[in-house]
Amino acid sequence: MAGTVKNVLCLTLITLVAGVGLGYVHDVTREPIAQMEENTKLTAYKTVFPEAASFSDMPEATAGSEALIANAGISGVDIDSIVQAVDASGNKIGYVINSTTHEGYGGDISISLGVDNEGCVKGMEILSISETAGLGMKAKEPTFKDQFRNKTVTQFTYTKSGASQEFEIDAISGATITTKAVTNAVNAALEFYRSLGGGSI
Amino acid sequence: MKKCFERLFNGLIKENPTFVLMLGMCPTLAVTTSAINGIGMGLTTTVVLIMSNIIISMLRKVIPDGVRIPAFIVVIASFVTIVELLLKAYIPTLYDALGLYIPLIVVNCIILGRAESYASKNGVIYSAFDGLGMGLGFTLGLTCIGLVRELIGNGSVFDIAVLPESYEPLTIFILAPGAFLVLAFLVAIMNKIKLAAGRDTGITGDCDKLCKACPNKLCGGRRYSEEETR
Amino acid sequence: MIAKLIMIAIGSAFINNVVLSQFLGICPFLGVSRKINTAAGMGGAVIFVITLASFVTGLIYKFLLVPFDISYLQTIVFILVIAALVQFVEMFLKKTMKGLYQALGVYLPLITTNCAVLGVALTNVQKDYTILEGVVNGFATAVGFFIAIVILAGLREKIEYNNIPRSFRGMPIVLLTACLMAIAFFGFSGLK
Repeated sequence: MAGTVKNVLCLTLITLVAGVGLGYVHDVTREPIAQMEENTKLTAYKTVFPEAASFSDMPEATAGSEALIANAGISGVDIDSIVQAVDASGNKIGYVINSTTHEGYGGDISISLGVDNEGCVKGMEILSISETAGLGMKAKEPTFKDQFRNKTVTQFTYTKSGASQEFEIDAISGATITTKAVTNAVNAALEFYRSLGGGSI
Repeated sequence: MKKCFERLFNGLIKENPTFVLMLGMCPTLAVTTSAINGIGMGLTTTVVLIMSNIIISMLRKVIPDGVRIPAFIVVIASFVTIVELLLKAYIPTLYDALGLYIPLIVVNCIILGRAESYASKNGVIYSAFDGLGMGLGFTLGLTCIGLVRELIGNGSVFDIAVLPESYEPLTIFILAPGAFLVLAFLVAIMNKIKLAAGRDTGITGDCDKLCKACPNKLCGGRRYSEEETR
Repeated sequence: MIAKLIMIAIGSAFINNVVLSQFLGICPFLGVSRKINTAAGMGGAVIFVITLASFVTGLIYKFLLVPFDISYLQTIVFILVIAALVQFVEMFLKKTMKGLYQALGVYLPLITTNCAVLGVALTNVQKDYTILEGVVNGFATAVGFFIAIVILAGLREKIEYNNIPRSFRGMPIVLLTACLMAIAFFGFSGLK
């Protein structure tokens, strides 16, 4: 009996110390983690909209996006957030739209899309992705990402036989599902962009 | 001092966790799609291994025998969580690349195995060196597999293209089957070398012997092979 | 709703097979696959434990870790819960269900350190599954394990007396067999 009590006490003590220690580490790293996430986001915004000097949040702006995307016939994509891109002299020059598709091969894929006031795509960046290494992960490579850059189109489509039109994207070989998911996420972002009236509000 | 080096040598070569003991197979196969991932996983495991070995060795006289294993698991899981939080805060690219396999370091049998078979019986310094040796041995194994897979499957080494453009990468080496294939051939080569030297292929040659010789008394396969022969 | 559950089930059992594409639970997959009977027993025990563990860890995550904002403790909590659960199930079966205990009993303690169990619990959290979805995912993942280990055991029984080059005997040939199985399972990705 005394042995059991000792066992339980000892285990409880170790777990307690471990718990408190973890709580401390969690507290210490909370700031840097948030900072790091913020930085990653900002870097992504800068790459998709190189002309912009700063970005201002537009909370509440994504309201009603779900119905809009569904009406456009795009499934499995959510618009996460949208920020206004502002250049050095304070002019509103476009938007950065973040969207997430749930139809990737290995789970969700989040992207960031920069669009200027004329509806020209300034760039596309993958925020988070967990596709198969060597296949779907190629979506992160410039050869794929840069296909969206500097194009003014309403909808992108992917093709396996070599892109010839402006709105066409070369599919990643062996990763059609990933290509489709990313293209849909981009299209949904574009659809949402148009609902904003195309220009600065 | 001599014993510290002996521990390092033991982990790196004599009882190399990947090629000789064949422990911790899950991360070995899963994250070795590139050499850099292999190193990242190996070093992360090394840090956890050293820390948990130190703490368990310090507590070895305090922890009652009856709750030894749950206590080890708590210690190991705490360090894994700490390392996970630190990676998330300071090396997010590695955190993203390793993903789910970071928390799964908890169930890596190398760590529990070393805690049970070495750290709970030896002094702090030796245990730390044992952890370092085993961890580096694991890193070595993972890096080797990652190198081969990345070279054949992507034509690069540490993300630097080394093979000419005309080389068409065999993507299957980066995919799941490639992991099994590369490990099979690496173990076969090890066996070949041992056979040529006239030695018994030892534990890497036979699953049953492998499991029984394993120092990790907590591992399922080992207990199973004991049940089987009883 | 039903469609989503079916998608999760097919995805976890075949497309992203737990052993052949996610590499979880490799140790029992390689170690306990010499005979079909024992492989099936192991697979059955894994189905039982993973399904139960998915449910329990799902409950704990939703009603304990999230409300108290301590989800960073998930790894440590899950592994302890799984270890305790396996012990408890073993005692429970021994007392009440003799038949089931005789069929699965030997394999139960082997599962505590099986990373597939913890892996499923963490995946459920990562993918934001509801408790029902989590249980379905756990069950399907374990069924995928069952299928893979039984097929491997069948193949190993067939090749046992083949003339294999000496250096490939034992582990290497098993790994090669697993490699061919993984290639075959790639065919399922067309289902998606």
